[in-house]
Amino acid sequence: MTEHERRDAIAEKLKRVHYPGSRRDIVTLGLVGKVQIQDDSVAVHVRASSVKEDVLRHLRGRITQELTAVPGIDHVHIHAFAAQAGQDAPAGATPQAGNRAVRERADIPDVRRILAVASGKGGVGKSTLAVNLALALETLGNTVGLLDADVYGPSIPLMMGTDAVPRAGQNKKIHPVEKYGVQLISMGFFLDDQSPVIWRGPIVMSIVRQFLREVVWNDLDYLIVDLPPGTGDIALTLAQEVPLHGGLVVTTPQDVALHDVRRGIAMFKQVNVPILGVVENMSYYRCPACGEQDEVFGHGGAHKTGLPVVGEIPLVEDVRARGDAGKPLLVSDADHPAAQAFLGIARRVAEAEAMQLSEPVQ
Amino acid sequence: MPTPVLLTPIPEERILRVLWDDDAMCDYPFSYLRGWCPCAVCQGHGGERRFVEVEDPQLASIDMVGNYAVNPTWADGHETGIYTFEYLRSLGDELPDRKVPRAERNAE
Repeated sequence: MTEHERRDAIAEKLKRVHYPGSRRDIVTLGLVGKVQIQDDSVAVHVRASSVKEDVLRHLRGRITQELTAVPGIDHVHIHAFAAQAGQDAPAGATPQAGNRAVRERADIPDVRRILAVASGKGGVGKSTLAVNLALALETLGNTVGLLDADVYGPSIPLMMGTDAVPRAGQNKKIHPVEKYGVQLISMGFFLDDQSPVIWRGPIVMSIVRQFLREVVWNDLDYLIVDLPPGTGDIALTLAQEVPLHGGLVVTTPQDVALHDVRRGIAMFKQVNVPILGVVENMSYYRCPACGEQDEVFGHGGAHKTGLPVVGEIPLVEDVRARGDAGKPLLVSDADHPAAQAFLGIARRVAEAEAMQLSEPVQ
Repeated sequence: MPTPVLLTPIPEERILRVLWDDDAMCDYPFSYLRGWCPCAVCQGHGGERRFVEVEDPQLASIDMVGNYAVNPTWADGHETGIYTFEYLRSLGDELPDRKVPRAERNAE
């Protein structure tokens, strides 16, 4: 076999390596850079800019398998590199985070899933849901963190009944506060009760970024993010900064709330975050005296969104009172019907989210 | 929403090759990609989107933005363009026609 024939044979073999999930081969996809042949060994440079680790491992195996079948080739060297402007494969270089030409905004270390709780407008019970959902997921056996992204109006410390100060760790890291088995971070921990937060967008966004990146979360199954009302800077920063696994939208049943909640839904759609469902809060009022059920804000508004309604929380004083007292219903009265409603939401969220995760991710 | 599976800058050919989750493949010449940068610096506010000519732009890196967009950094330091997957795909779908920016495009 001449040198020329051998080169052709190698090119042919490389075209037999398909990218997983695609009918295209790695040569067509532009993943193969330089190919150097010397004596009985061949070196293949792979442009692995956005190739995930496990796929790269698979490709290495396939390339080696194909090329060792070429007569006279005994050694196959594969150099995976991240192609960058003006530079070709540095010999032996492997792509590393930081110098890759294509960078994934990394997941947060030690956090498996990030769920955001949003609403179109204020006062619908976002924080109440976030707190009780976090506690419900914890009750179901998960390790849970709760990030209060409502920098202007942090209410998580009050509802969780703690004003502890987060501990500073090494390298300017922050250790979250722990209460009722849930790891917490909130702007409220850094303020006294009276001081208002009068900051412009860029500062607020850097705070959210710090909460995501500089907090030492301890092995979380879920990080629940309590967003501020509406669709502003903070929600957008969150959606850009990390890959969110899902969003929950909270609303109340009346038409005007529904009108606003559509914006929250549209926001998640625009940034390609799967919506796990809608929670209808203050769904109905049960009179403590006679037990009669009254739909103060109308009926079934959440169902008009066309999205799965993952829970309906009754308007009961206990939900509000326990929150104000810093002893959320889930920890103070877990048998309460409203607490059971929160648990139901947690179960449905876990299911919906498991379905999302099981979809093939290519 | 269309989602890119692979983003491969090929500096030698001055292109970004993108494999999409429906197995479509698009080659974006750097100058084309840069020219249709959607950011406010390039586009100003309001009006039709226009092609901004940059001579021989070099792609330095690309970041993923959340679940919905990519953010290229160019060798001259320009990094404000956030291309949603939808926009990037639409640029790719129109590639044969838009390789050379047409003047009438501005008037559309």
